[in-house]
Amino acid sequence: MEKIVKEARQKTLSFQTRRHFLQDCKTGMGMMALGSILDGCNFFAPQTDAETSSNPLDVKAPQFQGKAKSVIFLHMAGAPSQLELFDYKPELTKLDGQDCPDSFIQGKKFAFIRGVPKLLGPQANFKQHGQSGLWLSDNLPHFSQVIDDVTILKAVNTDQFNHAPAQLLMHCGTPRLGRPSMGSWVTYGLGSENSNLPGFVVLTSGGRNPDAGKSIWGSGFLPSVYQGVQCRSEGDPVLFLKDPNGFDRDMRKASIETINKVNELTYQQYQDPEIMSRISQYEMAFKMQVAVPDVMTIADEPAYIHEMYGTEPGQESFANNLLLARKLVEKGVRFVQLFDWGWDSHGTDPGTALDLGFINKCYKMDKAISAFLLDLKQRGLLEETLVVWGGEFGRTPMQENRDGKQNTFKGRDHHADAFSMWMAGGGIKGGFSHGETDPIGYNAIDGKVSVYDIQATILHQLGFDHEKLTYSFQGRSFRLTDVFGKKIDPIIA
Amino acid sequence: MPAHFHKKYLFTFSGILVLGAAYLLFFSNTPVDYNTQVKPILNQKCISCHGGVKKKGGFSLLFREEALSPTESGKPAIIPGDAANSDMIRRLHLSDPEERMPYKEEPLTDEEISILTRWVDEGAKFGTHWAYQTITSPSIPSSGFFSFFQKQSPHPIDRFIDEKLGEVDLSRSPEADKKTLLRRVSLDLIGIPAPDSIAQKYLNSKDPKAYEILVEDLMSTPAYGERWTALWLDLARFADTKGYERDYIRSIWRYRDWLIKAFNEDKPYDQFLVEQLAGDLLPDPSDEQFIATAYHRNTMNNDEGGTDNEEFRTAAIIDRVNTTWETLMGTSFACVQCHSHPYDPIRHEEYYRFMAYFNNSRDEDTYDEYPLLREFRPSGQLRYDSVMNWIKGKGTKEQLIFYRSLLKTGQQCVNSITADSMVNAALEDTKFLRLRKMGSARFKNVDFTGKPNMLIRFRNPIDKGLLNIYMDSMKNPAIQSVKMDKTKDGWNIVKLTLPKEIKGKHDIYLHYDSKLLKKPEENGMVMDWFVMTPDFPTDGSPDSKIHEALSLQVLNHPDAELTPIMLDNPAYMKRKTHVFERGNWLLKTKEVEPGIPAIFVNNKEIKQKNRYGLAMWMTDKKNPLTSRTMINRLWEQLFGQGLVETLEDLGSQGALPTHPELLDYLSYEFMHTDKWSIKKTLKRMVMSETYRQSSVVTPDMRKKDPLNKYYARAPRVRLTAEQVRDQALAICGVLSPKMFGPSVMPYQPDGIWSSPYDNRKWTMSQGEDQYRRAIYTYVKRTGPYPSMINFDGSAREVCLTRRIRTNTPLQALTLLNDSTYWDVSVRLAKSCLASEHQNFTKAISKSYEKATGKPIDPQKQNTFVALYRNSLLKLGDDTSRIKTMLSDSVFRKGQKELAALSVVTNAILNLDEVITKN
Repeated sequence: MEKIVKEARQKTLSFQTRRHFLQDCKTGMGMMALGSILDGCNFFAPQTDAETSSNPLDVKAPQFQGKAKSVIFLHMAGAPSQLELFDYKPELTKLDGQDCPDSFIQGKKFAFIRGVPKLLGPQANFKQHGQSGLWLSDNLPHFSQVIDDVTILKAVNTDQFNHAPAQLLMHCGTPRLGRPSMGSWVTYGLGSENSNLPGFVVLTSGGRNPDAGKSIWGSGFLPSVYQGVQCRSEGDPVLFLKDPNGFDRDMRKASIETINKVNELTYQQYQDPEIMSRISQYEMAFKMQVAVPDVMTIADEPAYIHEMYGTEPGQESFANNLLLARKLVEKGVRFVQLFDWGWDSHGTDPGTALDLGFINKCYKMDKAISAFLLDLKQRGLLEETLVVWGGEFGRTPMQENRDGKQNTFKGRDHHADAFSMWMAGGGIKGGFSHGETDPIGYNAIDGKVSVYDIQATILHQLGFDHEKLTYSFQGRSFRLTDVFGKKIDPIIA
Repeated sequence: MPAHFHKKYLFTFSGILVLGAAYLLFFSNTPVDYNTQVKPILNQKCISCHGGVKKKGGFSLLFREEALSPTESGKPAIIPGDAANSDMIRRLHLSDPEERMPYKEEPLTDEEISILTRWVDEGAKFGTHWAYQTITSPSIPSSGFFSFFQKQSPHPIDRFIDEKLGEVDLSRSPEADKKTLLRRVSLDLIGIPAPDSIAQKYLNSKDPKAYEILVEDLMSTPAYGERWTALWLDLARFADTKGYERDYIRSIWRYRDWLIKAFNEDKPYDQFLVEQLAGDLLPDPSDEQFIATAYHRNTMNNDEGGTDNEEFRTAAIIDRVNTTWETLMGTSFACVQCHSHPYDPIRHEEYYRFMAYFNNSRDEDTYDEYPLLREFRPSGQLRYDSVMNWIKGKGTKEQLIFYRSLLKTGQQCVNSITADSMVNAALEDTKFLRLRKMGSARFKNVDFTGKPNMLIRFRNPIDKGLLNIYMDSMKNPAIQSVKMDKTKDGWNIVKLTLPKEIKGKHDIYLHYDSKLLKKPEENGMVMDWFVMTPDFPTDGSPDSKIHEALSLQVLNHPDAELTPIMLDNPAYMKRKTHVFERGNWLLKTKEVEPGIPAIFVNNKEIKQKNRYGLAMWMTDKKNPLTSRTMINRLWEQLFGQGLVETLEDLGSQGALPTHPELLDYLSYEFMHTDKWSIKKTLKRMVMSETYRQSSVVTPDMRKKDPLNKYYARAPRVRLTAEQVRDQALAICGVLSPKMFGPSVMPYQPDGIWSSPYDNRKWTMSQGEDQYRRAIYTYVKRTGPYPSMINFDGSAREVCLTRRIRTNTPLQALTLLNDSTYWDVSVRLAKSCLASEHQNFTKAISKSYEKATGKPIDPQKQNTFVALYRNSLLKLGDDTSRIKTMLSDSVFRKGQKELAALSVVTNAILNLDEVITKN
């Protein structure tokens, strides 16, 4: 088996070399015959033809040396309230219960607020923490330990106020479907450092997939090999990873060896390089069967780690996923995307009340995330791992009055104009706050950044100019940030 | 095909720039050709700054009149006939990179400058891009380079192919062996191996026409329609759910069935398109023609609470425009949404003129996806017929037309989500209008003419309600009132008769109250829609009342299969279409009328300013794109790549055709000779020697043509997701021949469906529904069938014009481990052991032969025998392990062998030659 695989690699490589020669050679026959492939070529060629076989996940160099090697994006699906976490608005406390001034609602569209809603004071107490003296609410008691490693962005802005479109905008750079997600762009640009694991892994918790579904880790028009692979807490961590019942490793090994041997005979007959590529893929599948369950188990982590994170092996939880995320980046996975569902605090029931269900969600998240950042830091991983936290938008300073009636519990509607996110590690400043909102937290008044700016910054930390990481499709160059975005210089260390 | 075309491709294929330069030197008397020489330079070097998006320095090269207009400097940059005084040419020569063009980039080569200079000197004429030129019939090459040495194929396709092959000094391969060819053409034409009877007939025949007979036999099996439907479902973005966050069920499978029938009866492609685009606008459309229009009702529908229905209605319209262009006319139109096309001469405003054809469809993102065609079940049909017969007998023609449309399609109902000016009322979850205590809402522009009755579909949670109707202002006295009782079983319809003297269009206000509502925020009635109706025909007898009541029953609970269809708004509800500034639907600017982009108008006025007129234009033989796009797609399906690689873009930024004359020849024949018959066209293609040749790659071919753009060999391509599954089921003999009907749920791992607010579960289908062809598998957009996705299938959110094949470990894992494939492996082993009387060596040969259509060679045989022995050894006497492998509760004699052979058949089903078309 080893021999065949080695040969497969060599053949693939030699074919690839020729391909690269043809690509590099911008004049002459290569240029002419491969014209259409070069259409899709920017700084390297994407796989647009089955006949050009090579591993599209091979490690590739970024455009310049980035500070971060991998990204962990923690998405709180549903959109948590910035006003109960990071954006301290004492003025809003004083205005609690008063009608929202007309100037804030005239000509505005809300998902559920109708008529004149009332302002709702912060449902949490705030204190300053760390050397930086940043404000944090008492919903985040543990986070004070890591506050000096984090940059908080308080004036993030989006233009979508419904979950699915806003999540799409955050991850694919457009509220509509059909574009590649950030993780796909990154694996397309950088490849994967671990050939036994997918380059882009998605983990979900909270009992539901995010509202926009699998498209927010889809590959859009990029080849499907770049799409996020959802690893699951129950059943196979990756679909179809486990052999049929009754198989063991030896039997699978013998079976794959046989498949590869026969494919090698077919190769001798047809000389089609794609066959050699298939031989490598079967070899990789065999290795993934061991590597994935290995990295996807947390049972063998020491007790103090479980204590710290609040993890319980065998459960589907955000804390477990954070621990898994750490393990995945340790193993060289490029982009890890976590979605935790259940942050949509409308106040229509106790679960979505800011003073009830929301606090429970915060408690679990706070402990786990703080442990996670400390853990990354103590392992020296934080320097090269960019951690991003946020929802798809924020929440209104007004209490929601669904269909014009005050909601039963304390909750807030979707708010696109200003919300908080944070970033840590990967060359981002620590103990820093960027951007400011008005006294009630409605509008950004300083340091306003868009979702595209966040995306541009993430790509920059990985070593890409977001305007130059492009893919040609339908006759035009597409990029993650569409025609927008500017990296956020003040937060870069 | 004009002569310059030929030269250009000679140039491309010779591929050596030096030769190209020499060619230019020698033939410099010939005028420069815009399309092949100038436009590529402009597109590559100039147009990103001087095109549709950016017009740096006030200079654009997209349209001739723009290129010749004064720039910001005050004078034009191009003076036709005078390159020496043209600023554009002058600036190409400068040395200062700040001044020289292209700005801050490498200077153009001398040749490029010389081409542009001559172009300006010769008058700076713009040409029409190849794909926008009317299709004419090119002459078929008569003698190839090798015609002295080789017998020429009489088939025109081969002539075109041979001509190009001569240029790279390659020649076509010999014909593939009979069995390989049988498998190839079966997978291509029907998506599965040929049925045994057809296969044996071909293999045993000595008739020189045996292959042709095989092709015809295959195309006459019903499986043919299923195979080609698989392709079209991607283009139509067909799914069984609505998409977006909630992704609820949508019942639109009848459209899938319509496609299968259309392909099987070989509906001419022009008619096939007309019915899908405008079946509802044909005279007296049949149910089938209505169903065809579901093509564009496959757009997504957003049920997420708090979403703006108009926003997502608009999104669906835009999707229809983009899909129409991309899938049917190979043009990327989406970018014109925000600005003029960056590379092709299509203006921003033209996007919206085109959109205006679609903007008047009745659908508006309602929860129930109105309008729906009602195909009545037998009992429903009885009631419907009874009502219609009554109207036929007692009513006028107008009444008949009105009620038929109302009862069949719900046409002219006003959806409650269009209410405005709400007071203590709201669009609940943006789905239905809810009126609370003393709540009111307005509907604008309601047409009363000839329609003095109002039917309201509503639910009411409380008794003693009163609904008042006001006209034009709530200050006027109510024109009618009706008592509203609590509804018991869902929706109800109430009829109000309004004063007959009201004519024309008026705003109406609905006001609701009930004594039982104590607090203002307590809920009153919910409304789905209302409709203004003419009087129901009556003869004064009690029968009249009975029939009218029956009509309301049919309207409210039709007892029918409901399918979303296209219908246009009646004249008084017509929407205006505006240009959206930068594509933003909220920034409406100039109003526009329906129209075709100017470059595509073939001196032919489109009479009907609606989708029917549009469909007529698209299927006109002068339309340069429709036929080329479909031919290119059919070619891609058979040959693995298009004659133009970018199926989605035949425009100037797309790939160039490798064989432009062949593309035009086939496109011309498709329309003129074959009268748009897809079957005839496919036959034309698969009868060629080019198609029938062997797919073995020689080192020479790999060196000269690694990507097989010249077709010196047949392509080897991995099967599509559908073919991979269908073939596996067919090989082991379980593939169900059952056709049509609602989508089915074959085995899928747990936990794939988990969208918010949707508690529906994947419930495994029973019996043969487990083993239907892949096109019948249920498609949930947010949770598509995993093995389909792993093999590059589409989640069907937007159209997918071209599947880009990948080769990944996830594909290996699927075929190795997915229960579906393991199940199939065991069945294959079982049937082969039985037919070969438990002789395992013969059973191995048999399985291999079933899977590949070919006898096994000894070396492969030995490899599998070794695996079999090895598996036997590993299984030992572990009966419980064997039972687990075979999912059997008792252990019987022979099961150890069966398990070991299943390991072998599992490996066989994973072979490259099994999942590849050889």
